[in-house]
Amino acid sequence: MAALSPKPITPCLTLPPSTPSLQSTTLSFSTRRTASLSIPNAKKKNPWLDPFDQGDDPEMEYGQLFSDGKQDEDPRPPDNPGNPYGFLKFPQGYAVEVASLGLKIRGDVRRCCCVVSGGVYDNLLFFPAIQMIKDRYPGVQVDVLTTARGKQTYEINKNVRFADVYDVDDPFPEPAEYTDIIGQLKNRYYDMILSTKLAGIGHGAFLFMSSARDVVSYVYPNVNAAGAGLFLSETFTPATTNLAEGGYHMYREMIDWLGRPFRSVPRQALPPLKVSISRKVKEVVEAKYTSAGAVKGRYIVIHGIKSDSKASMQSKGDPDSLLPIEIWDDIASAISGLTPLFVIPHEKERENVEYVVGDDASIVFITTPGQLAALINDSAGVICTNTAAVQLANAREKPSITLFCSEDKAKVFVPNADEKKCAVISSKTGKLVDIDVEAVKTAVQIFSLPLAIA
Amino acid sequence: MAETLTSLTLVQPCITQSSLQTTKVEFSSLSKSVRQCSSSRFHKIEGGRRRSLVRAKALPDWPLMAVMVEHAEGQRDLITHKSIWHLSDQAIKNVYTFYIMFTVWGCCFFGSTKDPFYDSEGYRGDGGDGTGHWIYEKQEDIEESARAELWREELIEEIEQKVGGLRELEEAGKK
Repeated sequence: MAALSPKPITPCLTLPPSTPSLQSTTLSFSTRRTASLSIPNAKKKNPWLDPFDQGDDPEMEYGQLFSDGKQDEDPRPPDNPGNPYGFLKFPQGYAVEVASLGLKIRGDVRRCCCVVSGGVYDNLLFFPAIQMIKDRYPGVQVDVLTTARGKQTYEINKNVRFADVYDVDDPFPEPAEYTDIIGQLKNRYYDMILSTKLAGIGHGAFLFMSSARDVVSYVYPNVNAAGAGLFLSETFTPATTNLAEGGYHMYREMIDWLGRPFRSVPRQALPPLKVSISRKVKEVVEAKYTSAGAVKGRYIVIHGIKSDSKASMQSKGDPDSLLPIEIWDDIASAISGLTPLFVIPHEKERENVEYVVGDDASIVFITTPGQLAALINDSAGVICTNTAAVQLANAREKPSITLFCSEDKAKVFVPNADEKKCAVISSKTGKLVDIDVEAVKTAVQIFSLPLAIA
Repeated sequence: MAETLTSLTLVQPCITQSSLQTTKVEFSSLSKSVRQCSSSRFHKIEGGRRRSLVRAKALPDWPLMAVMVEHAEGQRDLITHKSIWHLSDQAIKNVYTFYIMFTVWGCCFFGSTKDPFYDSEGYRGDGGDGTGHWIYEKQEDIEESARAELWREELIEEIEQKVGGLRELEEAGKK
């Protein structure tokens, strides 16, 4: 019955109301928790990890050293320029032997590995979590292990050191690959390994074999999670088996844990999603859209053309998120003064677009999120369905019109649309194809209005 | 010839101790032993001549030598010492196998000594990227440095913005 008591809710309600966005998420989170209390998946301590762990000793007095506050950014001992010996560069009395005590007492994280399952969208939504880890543990080196598609996303993330490709969703990995990646993880001596794949005993063992100190992972909300807890030091149980249905805050359980207050450190606020684009990518993309007949700042990106390509950057939580080109053509006809720039995820779509829109259509072939971000960055605005383009437009603070298949999805994927210059239009019937094109056409005027003024 | 051969008798068990060194030195003893044990075995042949064949083994299973003793009444024995190589099928196979393996190895070995690829700098060179370190994760390092560069760019931008803001503040303060 202890598990059913409303105790786990209280920390969420005592959150400092830092930003309105965070508050709204935590509120929704707490309601979710209340709903999930009936599920017998309430969190309990794992007795296998340390049978003598009784929790923090309330009478324990910690000194100042290595116990309070956040970790130092640079763990290197201070230089002693007066020392005649080259090899003893730290000052006298500096105990190198206890320099790593912070790792134990304070729970420092110097090297962190994030195992992110899913494609571009899921990885993009993991960016705030990475930024949060960076803020919470200053000087941490964050590495990422993700799928080949997901890895491309880290072209626009400045906070990541290594991004390695390994498909954690593959139920039968090649033994050579599997052992190779475990060897790499072990070699890097991670302090913490986070995983957003729902772990069963297999994935739990995989993470455990990396020999990280903190093994943190989502687990299945059903019987598949049996045994995973043996290998994990912290587990999160999502409401459904599809994490991506959580939308923008799909990693809320993990973020809630990452930002937890600790001794004198207050709760870490969740930073907004931000992407950074390198000069090289910008140059490449500029050449691309210039050859397609668009001028910088004078075009509107249209993303979300129906295709069976893997590069359409949909979310697994919203499968109905692509529109056929005929409807896009209809919408694009309302744009005046700006060039509609159609982004195709595969070269085979070029014919279709040219057939429907006309041979003079501006078409640009883009598959990677880095190039898409650069394209959006140089645009006047974005019209898209629920693809990674929405999040990129919001991250670069570009005006956007987003078409959703239903109100619920819209709320989940773009939580506070009005703040983000993002006009959300959702279909009434729950199918994206039935979207009200006239409403979209009226909304398109937001792009031309500032131009009329200017 | 066929006649002679058919009348030969094997006296194998008597000379099992003999080996390859049954040369002329030991020959007397050998013929003696042949004589000793052959008395019961010699055939009587028309014409008053008895013959016998001794097959000696050089190696335990390697029939190597034959000694033919022609015995005539009142005369000294005529002993013909023949050294014949009798190789079994298996032994022949072994020899040929060895020959083929040696040839193949020889082709590979001596062929490779003249291979321009193995002599090239690509194969025989020091490796690495010239810094004295072996670099295995080149691509990873490129990506990592690209991200670090990105981080630095952002930092510079931020600092510039802050400096700009400060300047504006200062100017506003001066006015």
